Amino acid sequence: MVVVDIDFIHGDPLVRNMQDTVVIPDSPKINFADLRTQYPDAIRIGLTPVMGKTLYTVMTTEKRYLLDPQTGLTYSPLDEQSAREIAKYHFAGEAQITNVMLITSNPPMEIKTRRLPLWRVDFDDRFATSFYIDPFNGSLATRRHQYWRIFDFLWMLHIMDYEDRSDAHNRLLIAAQFTGLTFAISGLWLLFYSFSGRRKKLRLGTN
Amino acid sequence: MTRTLKKIHKWVGLLIGVQVFLWLLSGLVIALIDPVKVSGKQWARPTTAESQTIDSTRLLNPAQLPAERLKNALGVDLMMRHGKAVYLVKRADGESLVSAVDASLIVIDKTDAERLAQQDFGGDGVIVSIEPGMAPDKETRGKKGAFWRVNFSDKANTAIYISASTGAILERRNTYWRVRDFFWMLHIMDYPGRENFNNPLIITVALIAIWLGLSGFGLLFGSFTRADFFFLNVFRKNDEAVVTLVDKKAGDSRQVKLRKGSNLFLSLATHNVNVASICGGGGECGKCRLKIECTDLPGANDIETALIPKRLREQGYRLTCQQLVENDMVLHLAESTHSNQQ
Repeated sequence: MVVVDIDFIHGDPLVRNMQDTVVIPDSPKINFADLRTQYPDAIRIGLTPVMGKTLYTVMTTEKRYLLDPQTGLTYSPLDEQSAREIAKYHFAGEAQITNVMLITSNPPMEIKTRRLPLWRVDFDDRFATSFYIDPFNGSLATRRHQYWRIFDFLWMLHIMDYEDRSDAHNRLLIAAQFTGLTFAISGLWLLFYSFSGRRKKLRLGTN
Repeated sequence: MTRTLKKIHKWVGLLIGVQVFLWLLSGLVIALIDPVKVSGKQWARPTTAESQTIDSTRLLNPAQLPAERLKNALGVDLMMRHGKAVYLVKRADGESLVSAVDASLIVIDKTDAERLAQQDFGGDGVIVSIEPGMAPDKETRGKKGAFWRVNFSDKANTAIYISASTGAILERRNTYWRVRDFFWMLHIMDYPGRENFNNPLIITVALIAIWLGLSGFGLLFGSFTRADFFFLNVFRKNDEAVVTLVDKKAGDSRQVKLRKGSNLFLSLATHNVNVASICGGGGECGKCRLKIECTDLPGANDIETALIPKRLREQGYRLTCQQLVENDMVLHLAESTHSNQQ
């Protein structure tokens, strides 16, 4: 786990266009005041870059929306074709997309804590990369690849939480650590004596 | 081969044994400290700020703000903060708040920071001091921008870090976190930064530790003998070996039955055959050596090698206190043996 660079594990080299800036719409068809009238229970209204284009995002206490400032059309939830395009836009490799699926329930472990639904877009590269696209704000929610999955598996072994792979405070781990620590202390103790010339003392005993 | 490996194993153990110990100790401490206390959530009040409906009659649209307010923004969000409608502007180098009513840049001053920290802290203590700072520092790793550090007088020495540009709570730090962080440093061996576990030192030591583990596992096979597993014989009755005692001086011999797996020295004693010894079977004096004839006499161990001359070892002399009863054997009693026949 310490040998492989954590940024690589996080999939940073697989992604491009993550620092797109927003362009403030000059004379949009709908403005923020309109959105507030349209969604009176909005808690957040924002501008977000999606594939180089600045779109509106709206978050209410229950729902989220993605809209076009110039047309006022609602894009969300994004369809498969849009998810493909967004994934390709962010993917730094050349590989083709092999599979696209919408995950609405029972998420795989690698996105267990993420808000659903998410589009999963799989690429045919040597890392078995998967991009997860949020259909309600068009963002690249996260990315996973084979080495992330291996790292996650090793992390599970490391913290001995075989169910959720996230709780490093479980009793099994603590019990194992106490045992391990006992052995380490006794090992260091024995090591001390294995250097202290015990054999020489024994030889003297024969005289 | 095994001896050389043992020697290398020992020296490598000396070299990195302390770090292996520290890994286990720090891992244990990290697992034992309550994560809710480490995060400071234990003493944080629940907040509703995130779910406030945007509530303002007079709003400026983003296009009505001065251009420099939104320059290089990665995202712009209109929301309620500190009771006002604001734009939260995210940039690569941090975040800022712009009033959605008058386009002014919101700055969190010392008084604001005091109020915000007080609102968040639900623990048992009062504010003792407030100091400015710039993230990232030791306790605000991974964060950006200026902050106010608000120190509390509670037992856990809480420090709440308030962003000077957004008023957001950057971190809640306390003694639990600081202790955990110290052990985390020992765990990942990144002493100056405490965050990079891909450093060359830990990679080197980890590789050596893996070798140490593997070689130790390999050496295990050599350190166990068949005799170590004789304890399993408790499940089998009457598993005994016939030991023929030859007394050259008296010119006779007799046989005793000893339980397999038992210590030869002690087992003989229970049959009233008292082999001479000063240390009483401790492997210290070397007096209990006897000549053993046996089909597969085990090689001399370290203690026997040290206490019996090579010439005698080759003749079959062993220390009875270092021998386990494994098979039938012939034992040549020495003059010093006190054998009491009953």
